[in-house]
Amino acid sequence: MSDNQSPLTTRANPADEAVRESRHQVLRELLGAYADRELPPETTAQIDAHLIGCVQCRRELEVHDTIRGRLAAEPPAATSPALRARIASALDAIPAPVVEVAPPAVASDISHRRITWIAIAGWVTALVLAIALAMQGERVQERLGGTREIATPIHSVALLDGVLGDYDRVAAGELPGRARDLSAVRAAVSFPIEPLQAANLRLVGAWTTELRGEPAAVLAYRLDDRLVVQYLVAEDAFFRAPAVRAAVADRHLLTASVGERSIVAWPDASTGTVLVGDVPARQLRDIWITERLH
Amino acid sequence: MLATHREPSADLRARFEAVVLPHLDRLLAFAIRRSDSVADAEDAVQEACVRAWLGFGDLRDDANARPWFYRILRTVLSDAREKSGRRQQLVHITRLEETHDELLGGERDALFSEVVARLDSEAVHRALAEIPEDFATAVELHDIDGFKYIEIADIVGVPIGTVMSRIARGRKLLAGAILAARRDGAADATEVVDVGARRAMRGGLR
Repeated sequence: MSDNQSPLTTRANPADEAVRESRHQVLRELLGAYADRELPPETTAQIDAHLIGCVQCRRELEVHDTIRGRLAAEPPAATSPALRARIASALDAIPAPVVEVAPPAVASDISHRRITWIAIAGWVTALVLAIALAMQGERVQERLGGTREIATPIHSVALLDGVLGDYDRVAAGELPGRARDLSAVRAAVSFPIEPLQAANLRLVGAWTTELRGEPAAVLAYRLDDRLVVQYLVAEDAFFRAPAVRAAVADRHLLTASVGERSIVAWPDASTGTVLVGDVPARQLRDIWITERLH
Repeated sequence: MLATHREPSADLRARFEAVVLPHLDRLLAFAIRRSDSVADAEDAVQEACVRAWLGFGDLRDDANARPWFYRILRTVLSDAREKSGRRQQLVHITRLEETHDELLGGERDALFSEVVARLDSEAVHRALAEIPEDFATAVELHDIDGFKYIEIADIVGVPIGTVMSRIARGRKLLAGAILAARRDGAADATEVVDVGARRAMRGGLR
């Protein structure tokens, strides 16, 4: 977005630029819904403010408006009398469906006693569910290891250093893979690629890169209004560094942070994932938990 | 247990005709954009009417008749596509997105609005046919048929976030398809001129 800065904008530091760019990408994805007035007021206000300083988003909004305006002018087809007659004949040939019409519900039909029992049954159900969830939670804890901070400085681990360098570049500029062609990425690497499953994540881009000479698949997600990037590498590349092996031993989640930037990493069947974003580590850990539960 | 009664068949038919049949024209247009011929589209709409009539008891609220009817028609069209073994031609999504991005990077957005405003229905349908079915359906249901996102989610059976994403991306792809078609047309016209010039030259050399 650097070519779209307002002339009044002074050059911010790289971290601010990165935040601004990731915000631009997130808001850009919402422009269609903005044009259709389908967004809540607070998001609409954010986009209103963003549009003032972003030429690219203003242009994209014009594309949405232009297309929508033209399609809205598309006339409906005219159903011919012959088709209407055919439909009427077809319906005549079928016995009328049986539709049971219930009389309007009367409050007195349900006694206070029944209401009481329904309420109790609801509470009991909720209690049973709570117990079941607690038991499931214990089982989940058994399936998940804990988290473990990496023991050596991040920049001394080639994989993580490469990821951080690449993330800096991604966060500072356009997402290189806006084509979001996951199948092309899958075809380009030798290991399986599956996007993360967490409900609050939305895949916004996919491409390939190299991390210190190792091929990697990169999947960029929107997490609320932040950018989170997943780097997938082959398992041999993932396990190369002893510090990584030590951190993920016993099904643990490798964690690390640099300033506000959080990193987590974990191995899968034949790949390793490094997830990075300017979000609290807790959010990345929750994503990992969702993956494990899947 | 609450007592119920059967709705008389004459009343039922009248109610069906009042809440469902007014949408025939829009449904037929939707079906035409997804069929090989108008005759196929008419068959699909007729079949949708029959299924709607048979399942009319499932419609609990007449206010929901329109999205309910579209959902039935989509199923009919999908069944027909499976039966005929037709598959949508693979489109080069990346190419369309790149064309759209060039539009954003260029200085010709005023020209784009003019190009779109001049498109006839046939060109619009061709462009819609160029983009993947899921994206085209979401865009059409919103922009042509006037459904809200929540209704489209119900018709198509996907979360509302998916609808949002499909409409946004579908419009970008459509813009790319329109521009790509225009370029191809310009290239064809240039080729015609070139051929004409070459013929004239050959004639002159004789």
